[in-house]
Amino acid sequence: MTYEAPLEKHPVNIREVVLGEGEKARKIGGENTFPFHSFEGSLPNLQGLALEVLDIHPQNWATWALEPFKDVASDPVDWAKKCVEEYGAEILCLRLLSTDPMGMDAAPEETAKTVRKVVDSLNVPLIVLGTGTEDKDSKVLIEVARECSGKNLLLGPVLKGNYQEIAKAALEHGHAIVAQAAMDANLTKELNIALCKFFPPEKIVVDPTSSALGYGMEYTFSIIESIKQFGLVDKDNMMQMPVFSDVAAECWRTKEARESEEQGILWEATTSMTFLLAGANLLVLRHPTALRLIKKMISS
Amino acid sequence: MILIGEDLNVMSDKISQAIKERNPEPIRECVEGQAKNGMDYLDLNVGPQKKDPAKTMAWLVKTVQEYTDLPLCLDTTNPIAMEEGLKISNKKALVNSASGAKESMETVMPLCKKYSADLVLSVINDAGLPSDADERAASILESLEVANQMGIENENIWIDPVLLPVGVDQRQVLSYMEFIQMIPDLAPGAKCVCGVSNLSYSAPKGLRGLLNRTFLVIISRYGQDAGIVSGFDDELIKLNRGEMPEIVELIHRAMDEEDMDISGLPSKEQEYVKTTQVLMGKTLYSNSWLEI
Repeated sequence: MTYEAPLEKHPVNIREVVLGEGEKARKIGGENTFPFHSFEGSLPNLQGLALEVLDIHPQNWATWALEPFKDVASDPVDWAKKCVEEYGAEILCLRLLSTDPMGMDAAPEETAKTVRKVVDSLNVPLIVLGTGTEDKDSKVLIEVARECSGKNLLLGPVLKGNYQEIAKAALEHGHAIVAQAAMDANLTKELNIALCKFFPPEKIVVDPTSSALGYGMEYTFSIIESIKQFGLVDKDNMMQMPVFSDVAAECWRTKEARESEEQGILWEATTSMTFLLAGANLLVLRHPTALRLIKKMISS
Repeated sequence: MILIGEDLNVMSDKISQAIKERNPEPIRECVEGQAKNGMDYLDLNVGPQKKDPAKTMAWLVKTVQEYTDLPLCLDTTNPIAMEEGLKISNKKALVNSASGAKESMETVMPLCKKYSADLVLSVINDAGLPSDADERAASILESLEVANQMGIENENIWIDPVLLPVGVDQRQVLSYMEFIQMIPDLAPGAKCVCGVSNLSYSAPKGLRGLLNRTFLVIISRYGQDAGIVSGFDDELIKLNRGEMPEIVELIHRAMDEEDMDISGLPSKEQEYVKTTQVLMGKTLYSNSWLEI
């Protein structure tokens, strides 16, 4: 008698979201099974791995985190270029730290011009993240949406307090958004329902927020996993958005990542791989070596 | 179901102030209102009462008893206030509550025995709140044994399985339902009671009643004996009295049927069905569950 392993088939898909436009575009999501379960269903797109670029010179980064970028760290265009040409990044994530109202508090118009310069210099899709400050982000991201009209950026984080303004601008100018609700599937669903009243679900990526290894990573794992289960098993169409995870910022603020180069890289790679196993579709990473490690693991 | 009106509660500013000022008028209004609406018991929630617990409870019980003959459910964690209330209750009171935590059993159970009161006994124990139906069963069996040995029979015990808000942990709502169906086997003769309004804590204010009412119908079908509810929710009271049989039937159908076509239903009926589907764990809860 031969044994046949039972297979779990799901009649629904996680939505496929397109990042970027024209020849630059790439897709994430679209799967009808759990991560790496290619024996059970279809996984049409590899997970997206973005390298992070800051719009200001990094402050207080570990030497080994800065080392790969130290010659380009003062200019986001050069930094972006290096990430793509030298480190093989297929997606970039521009973090608008200059706009922090508690810091430099840069003006939205000025910031939008910087973003435009980066977009024009690139041949890969771009994620643009504000600082998570509802009022300021909404001003900045609306301006970015306008300045980069038609470029299909992924803008975020879009929160309960500013989703209407940002999503409206994203819709008008053809961008996708990252909808962020902290560590709670119920709140993720609530925000998606609110957004989908006027915003296309196939242009939403969800961010349940992330914690690094040793700092609550298990919670992030559970929440990503449950979002995917609600979407695929329970067929909840408000929970079928690809999942985004901002690993870079969380990992590199840990004591452990700042203790040694090897430890830092492994901290980031381990946290990343864990989230991919939970079902994350798009990650933001900082260190090129961590990117290389993850790429190698998922392509084998 | 036996309904216990929850509105005499120090969490309400009006009631809290009335107690502080020893002003009987707001108390009268609240008591008579709930009694008129058909509550079977009145819950007197005086909180922990750090200051003057005995005097406060005594005043409140006396005042309430001037306006109603209904039996009282004395709701305080302060044993001095509890004893004072028991001393002067005209009818057999319900003590709310003891848990299975050692200290709680040792202070509260003897009071019940001494004053021949009924006891609300929760499934919480020294380890906290049990996480599923089986753990709830194990915990309550242990506490029941202690109560029985002390001479408090099952017939005088109202088990509180502890209801968590659906917005906090939807699975706990399901294990609640599973557990109440086990009670007749676990504790023959005992009743089952819970704070129904706790279900909707953290839900949008205007929608809390809908969650509470739907849940009342669901657990009533599963054998729930009593609920602590708002004494001013007219629709809940009507549902409980069997005056809205078509809604009850609709909720039962939504409990049983996998996919229900609700497109032809009026909006109120649709809301009851959607709410049932959320409470039965068929769809993931969110605060905007009615909007999809």
